[in-house]
Order: sequence, then C-alpha cells, then structure tokens
Amino acid sequence: MPGMAHPQQHQFNPYSENGGTILAIAGADFTVIAGDTRQSEGYSIQTRYAPKVFRLTDRAVLAVNGFAADGNMFVKKVKQRLEWYRHAHAKDMPLRAIARLIQTMLYAQRFFPYYVYNILGGIEDDGTGAVYSFDPVGSYEREACRAAGAAQSLVQPFLDNQIYFKNQTAAPGQTHPCHLPLPDVLSIVIDSFTSATERHIEVGDGLEMYIVLAKGRTLHGMEGLRGAQELSTQTDGERVFVVRRELKKD
Amino acid sequence: MQYNGGSIVAMVGKDCVAIASDLRLGSQALTVATNFEKIFPVQDRLYLGLTGLASDVATLRERFRFLTNAYTMKESRAITPSAFAHLVSSTLYERRFGPYFIEPVIAGLEFHPAPEGEGKGTWRPYIAGADLIGCLNFAKDFIVAGTAADKLFGVAEGLWEPDMEAEDLFETISQTLMNAVDRDAYSGWGAVVHVITKDKVVTRTLKSRMD
Amino acid sequence: MASADGGAYRQAESLFMQIDISQGTTSLGIKASNGIVIATEKKSSSILIDDSMLDKVAVICPNIGIVYSGMGPDFRVLVNRARKSAQAYWKIYGEYPPTRVLTQEIATVMQEATQSGGVRPYGVSLLVAGWDINRGPTLYQVDPSGSFWAWKASSIGKNMVNAKTFLEKRYNDDISLEDAIHTALLTLKEGFEGQMTEKTIEIGVVTVPTPAELEAQRVGAETGRPKPTFRKLSEEEVRDYLAL
Repeated sequence: MPGMAHPQQHQFNPYSENGGTILAIAGADFTVIAGDTRQSEGYSIQTRYAPKVFRLTDRAVLAVNGFAADGNMFVKKVKQRLEWYRHAHAKDMPLRAIARLIQTMLYAQRFFPYYVYNILGGIEDDGTGAVYSFDPVGSYEREACRAAGAAQSLVQPFLDNQIYFKNQTAAPGQTHPCHLPLPDVLSIVIDSFTSATERHIEVGDGLEMYIVLAKGRTLHGMEGLRGAQELSTQTDGERVFVVRRELKKD
Repeated sequence: MQYNGGSIVAMVGKDCVAIASDLRLGSQALTVATNFEKIFPVQDRLYLGLTGLASDVATLRERFRFLTNAYTMKESRAITPSAFAHLVSSTLYERRFGPYFIEPVIAGLEFHPAPEGEGKGTWRPYIAGADLIGCLNFAKDFIVAGTAADKLFGVAEGLWEPDMEAEDLFETISQTLMNAVDRDAYSGWGAVVHVITKDKVVTRTLKSRMD
Repeated sequence: MASADGGAYRQAESLFMQIDISQGTTSLGIKASNGIVIATEKKSSSILIDDSMLDKVAVICPNIGIVYSGMGPDFRVLVNRARKSAQAYWKIYGEYPPTRVLTQEIATVMQEATQSGGVRPYGVSLLVAGWDINRGPTLYQVDPSGSFWAWKASSIGKNMVNAKTFLEKRYNDDISLEDAIHTALLTLKEGFEGQMTEKTIEIGVVTVPTPAELEAQRVGAETGRPKPTFRKLSEEEVRDYLAL
C-alpha cells in the first residue's frame, strides 16, 4: 500500500558524548594534567583504554574531553600545526601561543564546532606552570586549576576547596599558599579521580597523569612516585613525565 | 525540583551525625529569601531535611509533625529513626502517581539497648535518604539531596572519612556543603548545620558566599 | 435502646459473662524473667473429630502470639484482623507492632462490636503475649467489652478462678521460662478433664532475643521475616514437657 505510507523523516546526528573526565592543576614550576581512560557511549563501555591526554611538546600537554572522534581529530590537527611551526621557526611553539592557536582553530568551526572541552597545561616562557581551559568554540582563560567532562560537577568544587582554599580561613597572621607542592597536587589529582570513579558511572578504568616540569627544575617531589615514564626529547629543557594508575572498573 | 532550589547533606561520624542545608529560597533564577530552613527536628535526636518544591516542603513538614505526634501518643514513646524513615517512605509512596516534589534526608541517633545488667545501651548514628516516591537509601557514609547533589557527592567523597569526632564532622560537612553550593546557582546564600550527639544537638549558622 | 439506667450495657455485660465462662476451656499465660508462656487445653466434643487441624494458639507476627477462650469462629476472625493489622503496621514503619499497640488494635475491633448495629460482641477473651524492644516481654488480656490490661500471670475461660488461685500461690517474679512452662502445665492439670497429651494441649512461648539475635533481626526487618521471638511448641516439644 504505497499510498498509505507516512512520510518519514531521517536525521543524522553528527555528535556523540563519550564520557570521561579531565583535570589540570598548575604549580609554581610544574603542571599536572590528568584524565581517565574510559570511553563510553550511553551505558556501554567502548574501551577501558582510550587516552584523552596528549603530549604536544616538551612543555605543553593537551587534554581533550567530550566527543572522542572530534577530540582525536582536533589533537591531530593541533599537532600538525605545531610541526609546521617547528619547520618554519626551528623551535617549539610557546604555551600561550598554543593556547591562542587552539582558540583560533576552535572558533574556525564556530558553526559546526568540535564537540570538545580542551584543557591545555604546561610551562610558560617565564617558567611558571600554566593551565588554559577552553569551551568548544574557543573561549579560553588561564587558571590555576580546572576540571572538565562528565564529573566536572563532582571534581571542580573539591578543587575550589583544596587548591584555591575556598571557604577556608587562614590561621591569624598566615596566608594560604598560591601554589601547592607537587606531592600535594598529585594526591589531590588521585583523590579527585578515585572520588569521581566512585560516584560517576562514566569515569574509571585507568588514570593517566602527565607532569610537566619547568626548565632546570629537579625531580624534587617525584621521589615516591612509582612508574613515572619520561616522554621529553631532551633533559636540559622542560621535561614531561607520564604516570599511570588503575581506577576501579565497575 | 529546580523551581525553588536548595540542597541538603547528612553525614555519619563516630557516635554522632550531622545534617546541613543551605538557606536559599528561589523562584527559578530569582532569589526570594535567604532564611528558608529546610531541616526540621522530629525528636530530640532525630532531624528531617526536605529539599525540592518549597510548598511541598512546608506541607510535608506539617504532615510528618502530625504523624509523629500521633505515633508518640499512640505508642507512648519517641519514634526511632528507622521507623521514621519507613514512615517517610510509606507516606511518599502513597502519592506514587502524583508525588510530592521533594527529596527527604533523615539523620539521627538510634538507641540500641544493652542486655539486662550490662549498662544502658548505645546511641548509634543513623542516616537515610529517599527519592520523591519514597525509595529508601540507607548509606553508611553520607546522603546528599537537592540541586547541588552531584557537587555534594564529589566533595563529600573527597573529604569524608570514617569515625570522625563531632568537631571534625562539623568541619567536614560544612566544607562539603559550602564548596558544593558555591558551584550551584540554585543553592547557597547561607547555610545551617546541626551536629547531633548523645547529649546535645549543636546548631550553627554559617557565614558563606551570598552570590 | 439505650436507657438512663444503662440497660443496654447490662444486657451486653451479661452476654460477656455468658460467653466467657460458658465455653469449656481454660487458657493461661505466665510471664517469666526471660520470656512468656501461653497455654490452653483443647477439647473436642467427639473422638471422631480430627483435632490436629484445630489451632487455639495463633502466631500474629514474629513477635506476638495469642490464645483464646470462648468461641472458635470469633477467634478466627480476630486472628485475621490482628494479622492484617500487624502487616499494615509493618508496611508503614518497617517493623512489627509493639505488643501493646497490637493489643489496642484488637481491643478496638472488639469494642466496636459492642456498639455497632447488626453485630454481636466477639465471644472470646484473649491472652496476647509478645516481645518488643520498648517494654520487653508483655502479657495482656482482652475481653469482649474491648477492655484490656496487662498481667504477670493469669488465666481465662472455664477454670479461670481456680487456675488464678493456683497461679497466685505458684508465681514469683524471677521464675524462669522453663519453670513457667511446667507451672502452666500443672495449672492446666488442676482442672483438666480427661487425658493431658500433646494432642490436647497447645503451648506458645515468647523468648527474649540476645543482642546478636537483635542485630540479625535488623537484617530480617527489611524482608519482614526476622527471627521470631514468639513461636508455638511442636507436638514433640509439648510431649517432652509433659513427660517431665
């Protein structure tokens, strides 16, 4: 009965949401950028190991979260632009320049955006630790810490409290530190992810923490760190390390 | 559930419990009052918190006052936290297909009598939560509810530890509540905390961000 | 018609007396230091009746049991009402009613029958035995009028006067449950007609749970099937007590 058939509308949805959470905290002369490794769609886990955090240069690490396909493509394109920059200028792009590049690249897709929240972490030219956070269309800001992704609402208020000392009053005559030492930051990162894993179904499986150290900084604060793997191309500049930890898989 | 805003958290400590809420009453994004309490005493060592639609909060507060008074007279004894939790559950489930838009949180100390000749017995912490139709949740650590529930989960999971003394519990629940509601547009504008121990209930009003 | 001299009440009262005493069985209850025993004789009018079907001691909920003297069918109705009431209470509060509350519920049912149109009062007296966290083991009597009160030990039914006198002599406050069961059997034996066997005796006991059992009951409370503190003794158990 072809005459009886109702008209049917089809629509292709080009976006998906793949869960997970990322987080970055800047220290005085280091930055920690971390993300879990679970990738999911709805209630299904697609893989327990899909990296969301990537080394761009010896001083820049990018974490991407949201729609995984867009994220991976975006990282690929950023890396390509950084390589072109190296060919043209024979040096790595400075962190603040990478941040501006990412804004430009995201805004270029203003009307068909990369469905991705970016957090860029690393060391500035002045040797300070820095975190830049972006929205999907390129609004960005330099901050001391930022969480994004599925468990952002769980982690960010915890970070407000532990990193910015929000709602805490310093003892009389004392002030809160602007930057925490590396061991403290690492344990806050691990606590944040174990907490998020406990209460959010899209977070878990594995944790990857990238540590970027300023040029000339010793490994002080990493002594107790088990299984840190160095990713930097040279040892006399900024150095990048990655540390992997298991998270609960349920 | 987001019309008036508001959040509640309850936590277990060592021989003590705490329950805390914000003080905001909103009409969507507009803040109408900053002195709207959401936690009510039921008995000496038992408190009930109600988040959600403010009119239902007021209605149910009166309804549970009525029901517990009737219980106390009929049974000539105070209602226990566990019996009260079930009373809350069955009262809400009565309206299964036209529910009150609230999420209750219950916190109190439950008396466990010792066998004869072995002292008086002990007061054990008891907390419970429920959804709007009364599905009970007996957590051993903490209960969260309201528009900042997800934030409260995150902070509480990071700060809470077992067997805290009353002073530590007060600090933990206060920090949990304030940092969570500061990231929630619908909650905040002051907070109140009740710490319940065997001998007394300490109620404190917190100075917090008013924006 | 009610009259100023209370004629209607007297009429009912005389009916209570008839009902209570005329039926030919004795029931009794004794509160011990660590529990309660309730017991009754059951007599059938003919040897041809299969009395294994007859239940005079009834479990109402895991912590409460009752026994009656009077009219069997009326008791059955009350047992149904009491069981429903206990379950309704569990549905609301997640625990079974204290003995006093359940007794009051039954008493209310019985009282309503004394002033409702088209019904007659229930023709039974009850002994309600139970344990609860608030008052421990308690023993109540409920009469057809709807009045109820607590006992340390008492009896109802045909031989109640003699049995009470016997219990008054035998009772003391720190009697153990085992002793109470034997006292119960001795008291029944006083006015017993015919052979006292496990077929002609029914016994129910309330025990006091240990702290460990109490803890286990909290788990059971979620399913509504906690370990009972009231139970009926099996025929084997009754036989053993009779043999001693």
